[in-house]
Amino acid sequence: MGGLLPPAERRSSVLVALYVALSLLLLTMGDRVPQASLRGAGATLFAPLDHVVLAADRLWSASGENRALHERLTGLELENARLRGLVVENQRLRDELDLPAVREHRMKAVEVLALTGEPYPAAATLSAGRRHGVREGDAVVTSTGLVGRVTEIYGGLSRATLLTDPNAAVACEVESTGVLGVLRFAAVPSPRLLLTGVPFSDTVQVGQRLLTSGYSRRYPRGIPVGRVTRLGRDASGLTQSIEVQPEARLSRLRHVFVVPGPGSLESQP
Amino acid sequence: MKGLVALLVGLVVVLLLRSTALSAFAARGIVIDILTFATVFWALRHGPSWGATFGFAIGLCADVDAGHWLGRHALVLTLLGYFFGRIAATLVRDSARSQIVLLFFATFVHQAATVSFELGGLTGWAYLVMRSLVAAIVTAPVGTLLLWAGRRMIGHSLFGNVPVQPGKAL
Repeated sequence: MGGLLPPAERRSSVLVALYVALSLLLLTMGDRVPQASLRGAGATLFAPLDHVVLAADRLWSASGENRALHERLTGLELENARLRGLVVENQRLRDELDLPAVREHRMKAVEVLALTGEPYPAAATLSAGRRHGVREGDAVVTSTGLVGRVTEIYGGLSRATLLTDPNAAVACEVESTGVLGVLRFAAVPSPRLLLTGVPFSDTVQVGQRLLTSGYSRRYPRGIPVGRVTRLGRDASGLTQSIEVQPEARLSRLRHVFVVPGPGSLESQP
Repeated sequence: MKGLVALLVGLVVVLLLRSTALSAFAARGIVIDILTFATVFWALRHGPSWGATFGFAIGLCADVDAGHWLGRHALVLTLLGYFFGRIAATLVRDSARSQIVLLFFATFVHQAATVSFELGGLTGWAYLVMRSLVAAIVTAPVGTLLLWAGRRMIGHSLFGNVPVQPGKAL
């Protein structure tokens, strides 16, 4: 190895000084670097290797998962039959009240190839991209709730920013009361999801469920997001600070569904 | 050229493990800091220049992957790679005690420095210390065990001779 890098102490000091200077430069001006294209190249390069590594994990858990999914499928089929009747009734009532038709979410199943972030994942590489009809801004969900949003597209792959990203924000409403707020990730004093901007005049209770609100321009309305676990006040003391447990298990993401965001739905005929 | 290929292979293996198998552990609170482990190993094996180069390269990849604060991992891992490369010649690198202490120290420093960016300072210092300690407590024995297993597998020391500086005795 000494052939490429000179072994002399002075030279190694110069080298480390160069790396440190570059690191500091990136820390101050890194936002100007086109990171998305670099991540795209990296994701494309790593995708085949990710598939190989994940194949072993999938095989290991396939048997147990298959049994659990069959049980769940049976339960859902029974529930689906009951709900179909309610859909007809709901549609008839909406027609009588002259309310607009509710759009159904078209979901596309994709595989999670890699997760970014420690200890909690903040982004995920997905196995579908532009070629598969995924668009920037599409919502990413699991069977239990919202996971995040597609923020970068690389052709055959895409990258989703999860709820736990420091820059993520989701307009939410409390399911039963319609109280509005914005869900954000807070790292201080410990990492957690907080529903912010809720005035003290609005009553929120522990255990209530949050859904994406109709005011969100980023997510379709009505996707489950999480449940209220703790109530408090924010640092300013002017609004509530409500701790939320996400419905989706962000630590065990294997497969997710991509749902067209409001922008994609608006562009549909 | 051989060294560069080895470095690239090392980078790919570490990044692949980090984004797949180890991310599942991390989400359950078991953070095995493979970036630090690999940098310390590389520095102990190849000396300060390669240690710093490996630390910078893998740190930069981790920064690009994370998408926030480009340069934070690169800066800390460069300095750790250089530091451990410099002291490599003065250590019994095959000693489990040395390895566990080095990995503990390196992981704690790396975690504390990088997490402080996420917290925006030292306001959440209790969480910062706790998270860094947990990562160091997990990474140090796991890393030492891996080095021991590697040594047993290949039948001799994992660490060759660190390039000796001219005029400097080991």
